[in-house]
Amino acid sequence: MSIEETVPDGGTITGDEASADTPFGTVSSGTMSRRDRYKMLANEWVIAPFKILWDDWRARVGTLIILAYVLMGTVGVRLVDPPRVGEGDRLVSPFEDMSHPLGTDNMGNDIFAQIVHATPPMLEMIVAGAVFTTVMAVVVGTLSGYKGGWTDQLLMTFNDILMTIPGLPLVIVIAVILEPRSPWLVGVIITVNAWAGLARAIRSQVLTLREESYVEASRLMGISTPQIVMKDIMPGLMPYILVNFVNSARSVIFASVGLYFLGILPFTELNWGVMMNLSYETGGALYTWETAHWLLAPMVTIVILSFGLILFSQGTDRVFNPRVRARHTSAADPEEGDEDMSGEVATHIRG
Amino acid sequence: MSKTDDTQTATTAGTGAGTDLSSIRVDDPIVEIRNASVTFDMERGESRVLDEVSLDIERDEILGIVGESGSGKSMFASALLDAIVNPGVLTGDVTYHPQGDAEVDVLGLSPEQLRELRWEEISMVFQGAQSSFNPTITIRAHFEETIEAHNYNMEQAMAHARELLSDLYMDPDRVLDSYPHELSGGMQQRTLIALSLVLEPNVLVMDEPTAALDLLMQRSILSLLEDLQEKYDLSIVFITHDLPLVAGLADRLAVMYAFEFVEIGPASDLIGNPTHPYTRALLKAVPNLDTPLSEMRPIDGMAPDPVDVPQGCSYHPRCPLADETCRAEDPTYHDVTSDHQSACFHWEDSAEAIPLSTDGEHGETQAFAGEQSDEPVVSLEDVDVHFDQVSDGGLLSVFQEPDTVHAVDDISLDVYENDVVTLVGESGCGKTTLGKAVIGAQRPTDGTVAYRGQDIWEAKDSRRETDIPYEHIRRSLQMIHQDPGSSLNPNRKVAASLKAPLKRWEPDMDPDDRQERILSLLEYVGMSPPGDYAQRYPHQLSGGEKQRVALIRALLMNPDVILADEAVSALDVSLRVEVMDLMLELQDLFDTSYVFISHNLSNARYFSGKAGGRIGVMYLGELVEIGPAEQIINDPQHPYTKVLRWSTADLDIEETVEDPPLRGIDIPDPVDPPSGCRFHTRCPEAREACTRAQPTLDGHDDGTEHRTACFREYDESHEYWESEPIVDDADDADVAVGGSDSDARTDE
Amino acid sequence: MINNYYIERTAQAVFTVFAVVTMTFGMIRLMPGGPVSYIRSQLVQQQGNQVDMEQVNALVEVYTNVAPDEPLYIQYIDYMAALLQGDLGVSMFYNDPVTEILASAAPWTVFVMSISLVLTFGLGITLGAVMAYIEGSRFDVSTTLVSIFLNSIPYYVMAIILVYVLGYQFNWFPTGGRISSDVATGMNLAFLQSAFYHAALPIASLVITGFGIQALAMRGNSIRVLGEDYIRVARLRGLPPHDIALRYVGRNAILPMYTGMMIAIGFMFGGSVILEEIFAYPGIGYYMFRGIMARDYPLMMGAFLIITIAVVVGIYVADLTYGKLDPRAGSGGGNREAY
Ligand code: SF4
Ligand code: SF4
Repeated sequence: MSIEETVPDGGTITGDEASADTPFGTVSSGTMSRRDRYKMLANEWVIAPFKILWDDWRARVGTLIILAYVLMGTVGVRLVDPPRVGEGDRLVSPFEDMSHPLGTDNMGNDIFAQIVHATPPMLEMIVAGAVFTTVMAVVVGTLSGYKGGWTDQLLMTFNDILMTIPGLPLVIVIAVILEPRSPWLVGVIITVNAWAGLARAIRSQVLTLREESYVEASRLMGISTPQIVMKDIMPGLMPYILVNFVNSARSVIFASVGLYFLGILPFTELNWGVMMNLSYETGGALYTWETAHWLLAPMVTIVILSFGLILFSQGTDRVFNPRVRARHTSAADPEEGDEDMSGEVATHIRG
Repeated sequence: MSKTDDTQTATTAGTGAGTDLSSIRVDDPIVEIRNASVTFDMERGESRVLDEVSLDIERDEILGIVGESGSGKSMFASALLDAIVNPGVLTGDVTYHPQGDAEVDVLGLSPEQLRELRWEEISMVFQGAQSSFNPTITIRAHFEETIEAHNYNMEQAMAHARELLSDLYMDPDRVLDSYPHELSGGMQQRTLIALSLVLEPNVLVMDEPTAALDLLMQRSILSLLEDLQEKYDLSIVFITHDLPLVAGLADRLAVMYAFEFVEIGPASDLIGNPTHPYTRALLKAVPNLDTPLSEMRPIDGMAPDPVDVPQGCSYHPRCPLADETCRAEDPTYHDVTSDHQSACFHWEDSAEAIPLSTDGEHGETQAFAGEQSDEPVVSLEDVDVHFDQVSDGGLLSVFQEPDTVHAVDDISLDVYENDVVTLVGESGCGKTTLGKAVIGAQRPTDGTVAYRGQDIWEAKDSRRETDIPYEHIRRSLQMIHQDPGSSLNPNRKVAASLKAPLKRWEPDMDPDDRQERILSLLEYVGMSPPGDYAQRYPHQLSGGEKQRVALIRALLMNPDVILADEAVSALDVSLRVEVMDLMLELQDLFDTSYVFISHNLSNARYFSGKAGGRIGVMYLGELVEIGPAEQIINDPQHPYTKVLRWSTADLDIEETVEDPPLRGIDIPDPVDPPSGCRFHTRCPEAREACTRAQPTLDGHDDGTEHRTACFREYDESHEYWESEPIVDDADDADVAVGGSDSDARTDE
Repeated sequence: MINNYYIERTAQAVFTVFAVVTMTFGMIRLMPGGPVSYIRSQLVQQQGNQVDMEQVNALVEVYTNVAPDEPLYIQYIDYMAALLQGDLGVSMFYNDPVTEILASAAPWTVFVMSISLVLTFGLGITLGAVMAYIEGSRFDVSTTLVSIFLNSIPYYVMAIILVYVLGYQFNWFPTGGRISSDVATGMNLAFLQSAFYHAALPIASLVITGFGIQALAMRGNSIRVLGEDYIRVARLRGLPPHDIALRYVGRNAILPMYTGMMIAIGFMFGGSVILEEIFAYPGIGYYMFRGIMARDYPLMMGAFLIITIAVVVGIYVADLTYGKLDPRAGSGGGNREAY
């Protein structure tokens, strides 16, 4: 046999090699319209995940809370006028005057307006920080885990050192050096080494996933590394990544508000931390009950948002669980219940 | 005793099952089980995973219980100790008879009494030894806390523990001071057996105690078990899915199907004259070394779901003899002989309807190697694969001296067109690594791997055009993995997994054609309706179905060689033959060669034998014997192959479990393999010369396909025949076992 | 293997400190305007425009141990040499050696943080284990919710609330200082009492906002361990329940908590900057904050260095105990993934 004849010819086995009765010769008889296909995709990627989220009360509450803040930061700033000095009396108590629902500060600024108008830069900061953390961690973790060898050793040595340095002091030092003003930049600086822990964790997950048979099978089928990472590795990491995305969003809030509160980050815009700082430092809030609302309002704002984020993250890992997904994408699957059940029985029997 | 019986008969009559109790009673029972049921409440209804089971366990017997996974056999084991996990509910009676007339109602005991009964009277060994130990405390602590919890004399009991450990061919001190993860799987399992016997119980319940181990280790443990049983007067309940394994060991056998016993009898009777259609089907389905290949048949259909057991005889949907009565009524036990019962209306006709030849003719050899080509498709030359043990990344791992594992050492092998090569050997012998080297999935540290004359790794590394581009090589060599659970991406539907290779290699293909092709292939391998299967996620498939999808995926590449790495080992016994048949059928269709990897000689024989292929035997990274399948099975030359042959249980019940033809049970550390012939530390034929020089496959070419790397194959002039046999010090058994290669090694 | 584990961890700790020191050196040089221009501007203010560059450089060297006119590597070596002798430069704001200031502050920070750490984990682990044992009970469900809620409060928010309500409004707790001014330093009861009294609120704010997440982690781990085969085997072997709870469930469930513990060490020590400022508690974080506000670079960087070293040491100690608890550590089979 000569080499030319036996080298696979690019795949299609036509002619006599594939006789009519082998399934390889098959061609399609009907077509699926483009519309149907999009519908299917929409169902798989948008509708189903949302349904799954909605099924879990924690995720539901979390989603609602996050949605409310996003609305506040987008629509809210259009509906509520920006705070102006002396727009109301000084230190109006909350819930007294409906034109100042949360009262005013010592300069007569409306507190509710301050909170609303501090939201957009805060959201920008959160997004910047969370995206930076996640992207860095995924890139470093995946690279390190999938490549191995020297790349791994170098990256992990660097990573371990970064991980050990306490975050807040490092951020402070950098903030002092750079004096960042853009919320996007602040977000990135705050997470400057926050990604290292996640990168380590992702690396070890990748190490496990890399050994899975289906990854090796893909490799042997000649599928390119980026494809393998995207299709075979990433989906396995997604629950992890998503949960950590949400968690890092939370730590960005904590750290940035803390730094604004301390006055370490330059006061360029309204921020919940700045509000706390002003009420704490200039308002003499500590010595009287009268200014309590000024101090409490931003604090409650932060706590509710972070509560929402935690709840959301607790409910999200289900979105990527194929077992849960299967239940939602195809309604007509009579076998499916049995499968779950026999799994359950098997555990009982084994146990 | 009579009192118990009366009440039992009454209850039984009430249930309408009409079990005739006299038939399953023995003279001197140590445990009596009556109408034991286990139920779980589930959303879909009540799940009954043990269904009105009655059985006696005779004093000092070994009772083998055989059933497929999910037949309820583990439930039965737990029921004996009243140890059903929540939320399962156990009803019925379990009576334990210690020495004399006393009897203990196990289910009626107070928690404290039950605590004492367990382990002191009835104790248990589980399947996963690794997971049965607390990973953070030493083995010694496990023994000591057990002894302490039962207020035994510590010194005496520990002395007993040591004795047990050395009975099981281990060095007591070394084992006791180890942490669980420091022991090999076989040692863990033996340690667990010792732990279960430390309080000198009367009954030992073993639930698949060896399933996770190599056959050789399983067999060795079984032979030790027989010694222990005699030495300590034990009654053993041995639960397994592997009928041939217990056939030689057990005194009596009980076959479970759908949560009840369908046939019970003395082992010889049950194997020699099985009367229940399921038992007969099982015997035919299990690959073994004796049954003629043409006689092996898979069992059609599926075992029932515990929530929905069929009316009447639960086996009727799969039974060729089923008639109206079977569908309507649950059969009671029918006496075949006084101590052999069968729960089947038509037991007398089963022999005729389901013929079985157990006379074990060895002569059968298939015409060898018809369609093999002259030129090898893949050819390995002097291939070495050495691994450095992996570090955890990060600082300093750079400076550590890595341990080198010699996974494959200097192997040459050719794979031809339409060839089937099966590699067998114990785990860790390098068979998977060698297989991966064949298909270019593992880069050899030394030597060459060529695909039709083109060096694979050269093709991969070279930037210039090679004779055969790497891409072509890549798609020509494919693999099916061992674990069905991880062979498919759990996050992708079957259709998506199957589309990936097509998208890669035939990007221009019309999406609808792609879809159709996948569906028709699914249909072809019996997954119907294909449209439904294509939309499933892997967790919605059974193990066998997953392997079929993996097989299709490999075949979509139209490969020349497929590496099937233990592709059927994880499947239920009755499914193995079916999947192997499918693979061979597709070989005909697609002109592929297989490199089939198995630790099981029976599977190897079935697969290689049916296709007229070869079997290669590996030991510690070396190929020690290779030849046509039937020759390797029926006429093994290498002492190690003979050991493997011994370890593969046959259905011949006359042959009791004898001592292994081995000087040590545990495999030496592959980081530091023995000098000379690597098998010399365990070889019963080893002589002094074996410790110095290494035999090769080609050392004594006699022109046949059957080659063996052992000095005993060399002619009489070889120094082997002159040198002294190696004899182990009898008192020092554990040293020989614990990998004593160092003292036997010559210092040059 | 075990020995390798310890050697590796030790080397890792040393190397990290070294890397951080190098980084601080780099950062000092990067400071906007940097110490050089800062000191020059100070001198300019004092002496008018006639500033002698050599005088500036000499002063800079006194304060920061870096002589700006030397080549880079000499600067680096000088800086390292000074550090090795325990010399962190001189604080420009307090005009005292930084080492002296921080040496008096460090024990207080360590005191507060280690108690917080022990309480957070002690409480979290106990609560988590109890929750796991009665999984699904009303106690379990409500504690879970409360834990999540407490975890969404930033510790400094809790600190402000505590100091505001209990400190300023009710005057139950002091609002600043390490000990009362009328108590003599020394190991006497009054001193200890006063020390705990002053540290109570900082500790409380860390513990209240921190234990919940640890309890949830412990709960998850314990539930997983309770499902392990070896627990079932241990019960069948008749081991007493408290043995199983401690040696089996406890031990195996705590091991994965180490990752969280190490993160918490860094988090808490790092957080001292905010916390000590709120409570006016003169620890390292407090001085770091003062340093930042006064642009006192030597003090700021010295504090940063000391905090980092404290964290490195904390993690190192945790690592060593981990090696004791988990026999698989170092042999690649440990289940602690990060760090
Ligand atoms: S009773 Fe009927 S269905 Fe059941 S095994 Fe016997 S013949 Fe088959
Ligand atoms: S060479 Fe010697 S040790 Fe090796 S298998 Fe042959 S007889 Fe045994």
